[in-house]
Amino acid sequence: MKKFLSLILTLALILSVCSFAAADDLPTITIMFHGSNVSDDSAVLEKVNEYIADKVGAKLEVIWGTWGDFDEKAVNALTSGDKDVDIVFTCSWSSDEYNSYAKKGYFLKLDDLIEQYGADLKAAIPESLMQAATIEGAEGKGVYAVNGFKDTATQNTWDVNVTLLTELGYTVDDLMAKGFFGWDEIFAKAKEVKGDSFYPFLVEPMVAERMVTNSIIVAGDAGSTNLLSLYLNPEDVSADGIYGNKLVNKFGTPEYKAFAEQMHKYYEAGYIDPALSVGETSNDCRTNHQKDASYLIGTQSYAFGYEYSADVLARGAEIKFVPCTDPYVDTTASQGAMMAINSASEHPEEAFKFLALLNSDPTLMTLMNYGVEGIHYTLNDEGLVVFNDEARATYSPWTNGVGNVTILPDTAAEGKGFRKSFQEYYAGAKGIPSLGFVFDNSPVENEMAALGNVAAQYALALDCGAVDPETELPSFLAALDAAGMEAYLNEANAQLEAYLAK
Amino acid sequence: MTAVSQSAKKKIKAGSFSLNRFGTGTQSVFHLVLAAFSLMCIIPFIFVIIIAFSSEESIRQIGYSFAPLSWSTQAFTYTFQLGNALWRSYFNSFLITAVGTLLSVSITVLYAYPLFRRDFRFRNFFNFLSFFTMIFGGGLVPTFVICKSVLGLSDNYAALIVPMLFSPFNVIIMRTFLQTTVPTELIEAATIDGSGEYSTLLRIVLPVVKPGIATIALLVSLAYWNEWFLSLLYLNKNMEIMPLQYLLMRMQRNADFLAKNSSMLGADAAKAAAQLPSQSLKMALVVFIVVPIACAYPFFQRYVVAGLTIGSVKG
Repeated sequence: MKKFLSLILTLALILSVCSFAAADDLPTITIMFHGSNVSDDSAVLEKVNEYIADKVGAKLEVIWGTWGDFDEKAVNALTSGDKDVDIVFTCSWSSDEYNSYAKKGYFLKLDDLIEQYGADLKAAIPESLMQAATIEGAEGKGVYAVNGFKDTATQNTWDVNVTLLTELGYTVDDLMAKGFFGWDEIFAKAKEVKGDSFYPFLVEPMVAERMVTNSIIVAGDAGSTNLLSLYLNPEDVSADGIYGNKLVNKFGTPEYKAFAEQMHKYYEAGYIDPALSVGETSNDCRTNHQKDASYLIGTQSYAFGYEYSADVLARGAEIKFVPCTDPYVDTTASQGAMMAINSASEHPEEAFKFLALLNSDPTLMTLMNYGVEGIHYTLNDEGLVVFNDEARATYSPWTNGVGNVTILPDTAAEGKGFRKSFQEYYAGAKGIPSLGFVFDNSPVENEMAALGNVAAQYALALDCGAVDPETELPSFLAALDAAGMEAYLNEANAQLEAYLAK
Repeated sequence: MTAVSQSAKKKIKAGSFSLNRFGTGTQSVFHLVLAAFSLMCIIPFIFVIIIAFSSEESIRQIGYSFAPLSWSTQAFTYTFQLGNALWRSYFNSFLITAVGTLLSVSITVLYAYPLFRRDFRFRNFFNFLSFFTMIFGGGLVPTFVICKSVLGLSDNYAALIVPMLFSPFNVIIMRTFLQTTVPTELIEAATIDGSGEYSTLLRIVLPVVKPGIATIALLVSLAYWNEWFLSLLYLNKNMEIMPLQYLLMRMQRNADFLAKNSSMLGADAAKAAAQLPSQSLKMALVVFIVVPIACAYPFFQRYVVAGLTIGSVKG
């Protein structure tokens, strides 16, 4: 009996080994996306794997990282050399920051792979994007990630509730003619008409500050409270701004003082919701007011076509986004969404072939981004995409984080010809003089942490006008100086000068 | 013999005076302080329940409040609509907690028992081994590498159970409890009567240390029930086994991330923020998560009180 049993077991063992060897000889490549909201990807992956089986010679598996957990997952996968993750999203603002991780050797240098397999890829994305991705990495200067052609230029706009504005008897041109410093009258009228609990000015304080003073974020600066600023020339973004190409402590400039004083006046007059000045409630408050259009003027960091997106259309009022300047290409935007190959990956060639195909082949990009035709969307008579809301709710990747969005088909909401206009809009955007500069903050890490703490204490309240700049601004500046602002500035400026000299 | 005053003698006779009891004034102060403290513990939970039953419009207009403008069971009906995903997560939480607690308590008792027996030759070595890991840890990345690559804990239930199975702190509690409750004579008597090691452990010692086991079980089940970080680290492709706590934390972290990085993401952040689940839904999930463990606590309560006073009174 025992002998018989052991024979059966041995046979079973041998058979199981055989079956493993026979099946699936296609290698598996795994890609990790950011900002996804996907609960069911089986239908899509089936079609994708069918499509790429011979073109790429691999099977695809996806890790759908969400906004909150991508950073942790990506950092762990890369720093622990996890060979189960082949392709990972990277950019200049996520935890697996493009420049620093390339220097540390976590990303593969792609130049050779691009030469060999990347002809279609080079044709599909503009040269400037390849340039933006070319940095100093662990293996020398080169491209360490495939840049995603999305809204690659920054443009800040005033989010205007035109319906309400016309009700009050003004036009958008009136608004712009008066400018930020002259909106007292209009706000007062709005409060009169809509009642005392109505807050006409719905700002995102940090963005408002940049719009009024024409300052830009510097990549590599302290996270959410930026301390350094480059000043933009609002007439011609590729020319030098008022401070030339020097980095300044933006809180110490006269422009900032004027801005803070004006915001304080608006706040005291009751034009700004107090909940906006507190970090924890600021974002929720803004989203809530946006949902029912209970504001007159707001701020919005703009992407072409945003006015056609579902949430804007659902606001129930006519919304117009009025730009402050032309769109400009800065480092943050031009390195905003990239796909890098993990240097620990066992199938780098297949991984790169997949990326090249994804960014150049409309069929694959549509599959990954929009889903399967018939299940997640249908095409109407004009050939525009109409989403099936129910199915879409189970499969919503972050569109701009997948790759080259210009090869996607137009949706019914965006209208015909949208993607073409999108491409032209961003291909025509000019770069700022210091494009490509990333501040390496490792020499001044301690100062940055201390300065970040000080800024977190004062900046939001000052930007929102909740406190009196007469008293708070001087103490803020003093605290910044005490925390090492000068050393920080000097280091940044030295790096910028060296970069521009090249 | 201390002199006792006349009035005191009278009070003692009347039975209303005890040399060890606090006076009425002090008692009321203590009652007030403890009542205030208890309120501070209960009120947040009541607040959560109120928010879970507030309507979304009310939250949008006046924020969180003890008296919302309008009530609604929207959040709860939405969770029931979520259907399978929610109940699967709930089931996963229960499964992981139940299996984890069972395994962890067994491991802890089996580890602590030899440490308590003085005739165990390698006592010092194993004591030191567990104590050492309490002070020094490898850090996140080495732990991740060992768990994922060496132990194969990835995308399976084991990944959510195994990393938390052994806690040196619990071992110390168990060992101390054994030391103070089980006299060595008992073990000797059992050995003389011909009981083997396992028999002694299971039939003689275990019934005596039930309070200790209950304490450990409560601590461990609480730890497993509240755990979401392991899911974040080890669950990449198999989202079927995700526990409810991770679902909730994901929503919270998504909201936090978008709030912090909205200036970098621009329009995308606004689009994503508009799609986030409502505040009252999050609170409804909190209610789902807190209720089971709150219900389990009374069962353990009488053991915990006994367990907390381990070693305070000798013999």
